Amino acid sequence: MFNEKIVDPAELRHWGGKIELYWIYTSGEAGDRFFKALRDEGKFIAAKCKKCGRVYFPPRMYCEFDFSETEYQEISGKGRVRAYTVAWLDKDEKPLEKPEIYAIIDMEGTDGCMIHLLGEVEEDQVEIGMEVEPVLRDKSEREGTINDILYFKPS
Amino acid sequence: MRVAVLGVGYSGFNTNTPDLNWKELMLEAAVRAYEDAGINPRKDVDSVVTCAEDFWEGFAIFDEFVPDQLGGVLKPTCTVCSDFLYGVATAYMQIKSGLADIVVVEAHSKASDILTFGEVIKFAMDPVWLRDIGNAHPYYFAALEMSQYVSECCINEEQIAEVVVKNKNNALLNSSAPYGAKVTVEDVLNSPMVFDPMRKIEIAPVSDGAVVFVLGNEFVAREITDTPVWVKGVGWWSETSNYDTMSFNAMYAYKAAKMAYKLAKITNPAKEVDFAEVDDRFAFKELQHIEALQLSRKYETGSLMQEGYFARDGELPVNVSGGNLGVGNLLEATGGQKALEVVLQLRGLAGKRQIEAETGVAQAWRYIPTASGTVAVFGV
Ligand SMILES: [Zn+2]
Repeated sequence: MFNEKIVDPAELRHWGGKIELYWIYTSGEAGDRFFKALRDEGKFIAAKCKKCGRVYFPPRMYCEFDFSETEYQEISGKGRVRAYTVAWLDKDEKPLEKPEIYAIIDMEGTDGCMIHLLGEVEEDQVEIGMEVEPVLRDKSEREGTINDILYFKPS
Repeated sequence: MRVAVLGVGYSGFNTNTPDLNWKELMLEAAVRAYEDAGINPRKDVDSVVTCAEDFWEGFAIFDEFVPDQLGGVLKPTCTVCSDFLYGVATAYMQIKSGLADIVVVEAHSKASDILTFGEVIKFAMDPVWLRDIGNAHPYYFAALEMSQYVSECCINEEQIAEVVVKNKNNALLNSSAPYGAKVTVEDVLNSPMVFDPMRKIEIAPVSDGAVVFVLGNEFVAREITDTPVWVKGVGWWSETSNYDTMSFNAMYAYKAAKMAYKLAKITNPAKEVDFAEVDDRFAFKELQHIEALQLSRKYETGSLMQEGYFARDGELPVNVSGGNLGVGNLLEATGGQKALEVVLQLRGLAGKRQIEAETGVAQAWRYIPTASGTVAVFGV
């Protein structure tokens, strides 16, 4: 193409190297509550600030605006698409086998949102403002991670 | 006590740098900056500030790997884990407080060494809530922000394309801008869509380079030149690390600019700022940042872009250097290249792309997935 340039110096003098590192990431007090409720009961939990009343999703144990405590409450898990993108490239900028639709979903009954995938919808059928609901992995396969939610589908 | 730019130096900018390793890249920029300032780094420099992020470097504790290549051993040295303009702000405070007379600021990119750029960005995403969702390149995160921005602000694809056209064509007059190209709006609109609504050509590819500034107080500046470029104001601001409370509308840049304008005593930026170099690592970000810097009003930025208002010969030139779309994504040196262009323009050393200006603004964002950024105002 008109602006393509050689950007890969791997053919040139170089020394190969990699960083192979492993972690566990604990999900924290609020995350633990959320992911256990999702895994065991298929429920969504949000967190409401005891001081200002703001409802956080994803839930967390403190309000970041007035630095005070929150309390947990159940929400529907449904939401509305605020923004979306159809992604065609993987992390190495190679074509994905199938495009993935990512969305910012404003979560019902909260002041928060979730970034996740959309499914059971064609790329050209997605609209801003569209109402969606979560599709969960079968209960027997849930692990208590963000991928227990497979995607959101139009409701 | 005013803060002046005593000298600038840079190495690059290019798609890759097979002849120099990253330390030599820094050395080259430093030697040029010291020559420009007319100082001896072993004798005259009081403090060294480098700006780097371990994951871009490929090793841990970057600050252990300086300051030898900057001529700064056995001196106060620190590394700011952020963009070059945060380093300028740090140096500004060291000089203002009287702690140092002369401070060196450095940032670089050896992005061509990074074989897994997408993986590094993924590593910046929340590991519990975001990192493992889907298989796409994390560029999708910027595309989501773009989707919200274009729908909120009624921006059309021609207006986004104009940003690419302006910056890539501006870059043709900058010999240090490897991604310059003679493209048209039609070329852009016919190019591949990779993160719908974002096209591949709207994403700045990475490039290599290093930028070094020598900053000093008023007295030192007066000894060196009768016409110094001043750092008139600096500002930095972070929204939050959580995507659910981010504005996705460059609030960080608006607030950072407010802080910098206040120091620079600028009350009407659209009138008092002559030109700006803003972060355009995704084309829509330029429109968003122009608005955040209060150089235009919401809802009019897109049409002003189409009318040529921000062109090199327009009312308020933006990214005359070619921006990141022309120069490339310089990682933490992004703000460095922007500040460099502003200083070169103010000193009348910008060659064929020279414009007439007395006050210029440089702005950088902390890149995806952040909502943080810095602004610096320079003037003569
Ligand atoms: Zn609160």
